[in-house]
Amino acid sequence: MIGIEHYLILSGIIFTIGIAGVITSRSVLKVLLSLELLLAASNLSFVAFSRYNGDYAGQAIVFFVIIVAAAEVAIGLAIIVLMYRHLNTIQADELKDMKW
Amino acid sequence: MFVSINWLLFPLELLITLTLVVLVVMDVLLPKTVKKDWLGYVSLGANVLLLGFWTTQREVIGNTFNGMFVEDSLSWFFKGFFLVAMLFVFVMTHKFFKATEGRRNEFYLLLWLALIGMCLIASSADFLTLFISLEILTISLYVLTAYTKSDKFSLEAGMKYLILGALSSGFFLYGMSFLYGITHSTRFDVIQQYVSSQPLTPITLFAMVLIFAAVGFKIAAVPFHMWVPDVYQGAPTPVTALLSVGSKAAGFAILLRLFSVGGVFAAWHFEWSMALAILSAITMTYGNLVAMFQTNIKRLLGYSSISHAGYLLMGAAAGSALGASAMNFYLLGYLFTNLAAFLVILLFSIATKSDEISDFAGLAQRSGILAGTMLLALASLAGMPPLAGFFGKFALIMSAMKSGFLWLALIASANIVVSLYYYLMIAKRIYVDAPRSTSPITISVPMRTVLIIAMIAIVGIGIFQGPFFNAAITAISGM
Repeated sequence: MIGIEHYLILSGIIFTIGIAGVITSRSVLKVLLSLELLLAASNLSFVAFSRYNGDYAGQAIVFFVIIVAAAEVAIGLAIIVLMYRHLNTIQADELKDMKW
Repeated sequence: MFVSINWLLFPLELLITLTLVVLVVMDVLLPKTVKKDWLGYVSLGANVLLLGFWTTQREVIGNTFNGMFVEDSLSWFFKGFFLVAMLFVFVMTHKFFKATEGRRNEFYLLLWLALIGMCLIASSADFLTLFISLEILTISLYVLTAYTKSDKFSLEAGMKYLILGALSSGFFLYGMSFLYGITHSTRFDVIQQYVSSQPLTPITLFAMVLIFAAVGFKIAAVPFHMWVPDVYQGAPTPVTALLSVGSKAAGFAILLRLFSVGGVFAAWHFEWSMALAILSAITMTYGNLVAMFQTNIKRLLGYSSISHAGYLLMGAAAGSALGASAMNFYLLGYLFTNLAAFLVILLFSIATKSDEISDFAGLAQRSGILAGTMLLALASLAGMPPLAGFFGKFALIMSAMKSGFLWLALIASANIVVSLYYYLMIAKRIYVDAPRSTSPITISVPMRTVLIIAMIAIVGIGIFQGPFFNAAITAISGM
């Protein structure tokens, strides 16, 4: 029997992978992918809780989150394209022109 | 389920959206030569009209969309705050594009979008509304930050802001999902009832900390501050001004709604007030210490804005009505002070193409009004009487002391002394040091007027605190 805790553990694992990805990835594209994982983890727990609590609000919220995630990625990719054109790199650790 | 919508509760948001639509149509239809300046004039005019309209909205109170949207004295206060901030930002934007000749159409549209986001944040009464309005604001700010796309600093700032901003909204969402799972709702009033009847459990603490991380990111409190210096330095100056005033105040509007007296998590105040106090102490100390070593004025103001977030957190840690109204009042003073400083920085960098503090040497001999406004703004940021910053700091420290945080009050006082050092170092450069070039900087009459208005506001709020402090108290009492 798969209960709420399985879904929550899975979403916790996905969230952790996302955080680890954001921290360790050198490529900005990989960072963006990891950020998507964060939102996906939240979506999973929203749906699981919604099913568990027996109301549909959680599933409705997921739709809004998907839209927000799409908007965020669109902006992110646009900036990555500009980065590639003007700075000739998509490596996060080469973004170090500004330092105190 | 039938949802009744009271359209009269959010006319301001509707009018802002209408302005946005009008600007989009203007952008498409008008010839290039005409719309170059007119987008700015229309934005500015609409903003002034909206500010006038806002004054008539004081009595409009209630909630709609099944309690997801609330109009009360706090949202009224913050909407006026955002409109005034935008007024300055539009003036700066107009000036900015006069000097740089970039594409300006989308810039205005994104600024209006950010304004809608900020107004909705102030009116959110549900975590879903809050999340979406937060994203409306931050996503438009990502684009605005990276707007001067041929400038590598701007791009770098945009990318860093996007990564850390998306990370913080991921935290917010994850925390919100747990809160929803536990309380069966995302509405503030339902969660507030839960909070006041249940003890704090590890899982709710986890959710609360995650949500605070997102708020901390917006207000630039210490563990979540990494983006601030880079983004402040790299973003176009009007956007930096908006970030330092509008976006930060939006964060504090959320903080007041969630963590302050009468807020969603108010019943657990005892458990987390110490955490907030420690965070406040670390934030102000870090901001002030690192600000001392800066050479770029925008970066310096970034660190100074971190330290001001620390001062403001004192009011939240105090958890009293006094603390909350002191935060509101402090933000009012901070609004004019910071906008005046950034306006000077913008005008200076247009004339000299530089943001370096060393280039401010001898500014007093080149332009008296720029030097005077900067001096006044810096003195107010440092908290010198009788300027706006002084009474705000006084009220915040008093609220911390009354709630038993004597050590925090002492740390704050020590910090104010430390901050005097680097604020006055800039003042010394401006007034005492010899200028590198003696060519005078001419300031046009409209800009002079704006600078003088800002100066009057800084001094006026400091001397006649009464009505402003009353407004701050009223905003809290009607929450």
